[in-house]
Amino acid sequence: MEIHLRLYGSSKILSDKDSLKIELPNNSNIEKLRDILSKIISEKYSKNNLENLPKTAAFFSEKNEVVNDNYKLKDKEFISIIPPIGGG
Amino acid sequence: MTLHISIVKIEEEKISSEKAKNFIASKNNGAESIFVGKVRNENDRKEVTAVTYDTHDEAVIKSFQSICNNAKDKFDKNAKIFLEHAKGYVLVGEISILIAVGSSHRDEAFKICRYILEEVKHQSPIWKKEHYKDGKEEWLSGHSLRPKKDIK
Repeated sequence: MEIHLRLYGSSKILSDKDSLKIELPNNSNIEKLRDILSKIISEKYSKNNLENLPKTAAFFSEKNEVVNDNYKLKDKEFISIIPPIGGG
Repeated sequence: MTLHISIVKIEEEKISSEKAKNFIASKNNGAESIFVGKVRNENDRKEVTAVTYDTHDEAVIKSFQSICNNAKDKFDKNAKIFLEHAKGYVLVGEISILIAVGSSHRDEAFKICRYILEEVKHQSPIWKKEHYKDGKEEWLSGHSLRPKKDIK
């Protein structure tokens, strides 16, 4: 299965586009997505100071609500990654 | 109408104090409190030239509505509130956030203004990338929306 990860804040370093397509095993959840993101970052973006992102980020469903680590992802679903925030 | 909230795309328009003052003006108000946040030229001993603000628009608007309604419930149900935040590339000296509150009394006006500012910083999905004079740039670290107990 694959999901589309909408990128915000520091996660925009992961792609020139607004979202990143990520391949995952069927029936993956948010916890698995965090694992895959950690691998992507350690393999390709180790110099970008993003190593804490997979564990500190929250994730929003398409309803713009925070989903927990047990949330089952659906094929082709759009999920937003929400790095630590800091407006104002 | 007692509430105005917006994300302002800076390449299209600027945040205006005059617009905010006009919005909150009312003969029912005995007090007006206005907070203007601007991009400053230094952070952590680095010379800043601008800040790019990124926002999750739908979630930011949802959070602004919730924060402002909570502020009214908590301090003054009849308060008039104006809240705008910048999106995009904001130069030093330009406005990044503007909160204006019209209320019956000064205490409520001050409290609502401060409450909204702190809650925006802790709830609204907004991110800052600083641009420095030496050409470097950096996304700033912030407040995680993931529950602390889950971060190992």
